[in-house]
Amino acid sequence: MNTSGRASAVAEAAEPFRALLGPTAPEDLLAWVRSELGNADALDRWVDHGKSKTKAVAPATILHVVSGNTPHAALQSLIGGLLLGSRNLVKLPRGGIIEVDEFLAGLPDAMRSTVETAEDLPSAWLAQAEAVIVYGSDETIAHFRGLVSPSQVFVGHGHRASLGIVWDDPAFASCDGAARDASLYDQQGCLSPQVFYVREIQPGFAREYAEKLASSMERFNRSHARGPLNVAEKAEIANLRAAYRFRAAGDLRVALWEGGANLDWTVVYEEDSWFPASPLNRVIFVKPLPEDFVNSIGPAAAHIGAVGLCPCTEDLADRFAALRPSRFCPIGSMQDPHWTWHNGGIPRLASLVKWVDFEP
Amino acid sequence: MSHSAVDLEAQVLAWIEGNRPADFAETVLRLHAFQYRNNSAYRLFCGQSGVGETPDLWRDVPCVPQSAFKHADLRSFSADDTVKTFRTSGTTGEGFGQHHFRTLEIYEAVVREGWRRANMPAGPFLVIAPHPDESPHSSLSHMLGTLAPRDNFIAAAGVIDIERLKSIDQPVCLLGTALGFLNLFERMETSHLTLTLPGGSTAMETGGYKGSGRNVSRGDLYDMFGDRLGISPDDIYNEYGMTELSSQFYARGPQGLHHGPPWARAVVADPVTLREVADGETGILLIYDAANVGSVVGIRTQDLAVKGGEAFQLLGRDPSALPRGCSRAADEWLR
Repeated sequence: MNTSGRASAVAEAAEPFRALLGPTAPEDLLAWVRSELGNADALDRWVDHGKSKTKAVAPATILHVVSGNTPHAALQSLIGGLLLGSRNLVKLPRGGIIEVDEFLAGLPDAMRSTVETAEDLPSAWLAQAEAVIVYGSDETIAHFRGLVSPSQVFVGHGHRASLGIVWDDPAFASCDGAARDASLYDQQGCLSPQVFYVREIQPGFAREYAEKLASSMERFNRSHARGPLNVAEKAEIANLRAAYRFRAAGDLRVALWEGGANLDWTVVYEEDSWFPASPLNRVIFVKPLPEDFVNSIGPAAAHIGAVGLCPCTEDLADRFAALRPSRFCPIGSMQDPHWTWHNGGIPRLASLVKWVDFEP
Repeated sequence: MSHSAVDLEAQVLAWIEGNRPADFAETVLRLHAFQYRNNSAYRLFCGQSGVGETPDLWRDVPCVPQSAFKHADLRSFSADDTVKTFRTSGTTGEGFGQHHFRTLEIYEAVVREGWRRANMPAGPFLVIAPHPDESPHSSLSHMLGTLAPRDNFIAAAGVIDIERLKSIDQPVCLLGTALGFLNLFERMETSHLTLTLPGGSTAMETGGYKGSGRNVSRGDLYDMFGDRLGISPDDIYNEYGMTELSSQFYARGPQGLHHGPPWARAVVADPVTLREVADGETGILLIYDAANVGSVVGIRTQDLAVKGGEAFQLLGRDPSALPRGCSRAADEWLR
């Protein structure tokens, strides 16, 4: 099966996940191949390369070690491997990922047989893989990096957290989008914003933005209820609320909006600029945008995944380039990365292939 | 009825020292009223919680979030009268919490009497932790310094005196932090050193591994006590305490439940409703500590626990110290 055929098969299996993955027509997937490899046929035939020709060679086997917080990473990583025509070994988290099972069930037999999944990493898999892709913390990535040989391609997608920057939105037009970004997938993914930094275009604007965002969170929650929480998650949110309730009672620089009797959503306004530890599950912080942004938000600055912007302009992206995210996008679209997104700053297909040249 | 700080301290001290019995509920309500009147931050919090100066039931007294000690002066007496301030270790970006004391008499009585009433091991004690002179803001060091004389602290400047351990020829009780013991065991392993302390030796460990990047279960740690020092798991005790409290809770063995003294009660509560859960159920841990005369009597901890009658099984804090993204499940698997 050539790349075009694989793209068609993957597109069909991915169609039920359009809401999760975005546009998944064959031409969308082929456009991704083209953007990274220069030619959609680069894996199938010799293509022009300066005075010579060249062909992309995919790894025979790819090992994907994926996280279970959202199905995004697992599906995107697997789809990349399938497009390349590799055999794919997928180490799933405990309990598996239902979306992965459903996606695999939609593949034609010939393609499905190239995928194996396991919740416990079989000891032989690591040695079999020509390429290893790992999603996890720095500790996890260092662990696997230490296990691969120099001949294996290794791609690590490390710990990331995301934020939004509201630069100029006097009419609060971005609030609904911000609520969507902060609510979808209950903040379990690395593209989920945990803080919105709001430029004070007038005194008190950031606080007002937090209040409007709270209304938007409530509206979103009515149509998209939060997933269930275990007792530890409940305790984290309840404790955070209690702590900020205490502070808000005596400190005008702090405010709290609490949604629902079931810990549905929480908005915290706080004037300091530190990027805080969110308990996730729709707990979002709003803070005034500080002057020296990158140096003001603490160690999280080194782990930023996506930055939502309002307005989303190249000038504004350049202004915050020092954050070194892998993605600037409009607030409201933070959960919808394009296929061509350089996750972790890495071209996801090009980083896996090798090239063989033909010089006639 | 109005109570002065001195009156209340005397009443509580007499109760702790066994000189005058007191009713827990009545004492908590008295302390609350005193703190309500004398601590504006607490009064604001009570107002926000819909609780006035004289609630009907001790369980109506609101529990202040543990983290509030980082942000507010929870002192129910004049700052000029402060004789001691203990500090939490603090997490990056949030600063540290402070617990102020007008007198240490109650604190020290609690340490001694709490230890005795919990049937904790007799000394002599050897301490693997900093002495109070080295760590004057550590409530743990002060507690250990109340139990053991300075000469029995064997980890000056963080260096454990292994020779002292080797020379032990009578049963002892080792006191220290879990992290301190872990460091000791790793050092012993590196040196291929194994000791068998005299029969009847015991140990008490406390604290977690916060900020160290380490995480060892209580069972595994207690196995190391057996392997390296010859102390059986049932002869090891865990102390649950914190800077924000005056009293301690103790558990024996790897599966033991934590019990407190008569003047402190643990309530395992539903995190949302704050109603006490049924036996065997999990909730957040609220502590009412009548020895907290000069601060606040009710503390909402960040720990989870399982209710076991009047006692609790500690589950600890859900890992949440850092901003999180996609990495959790993979990390859990790696562990």
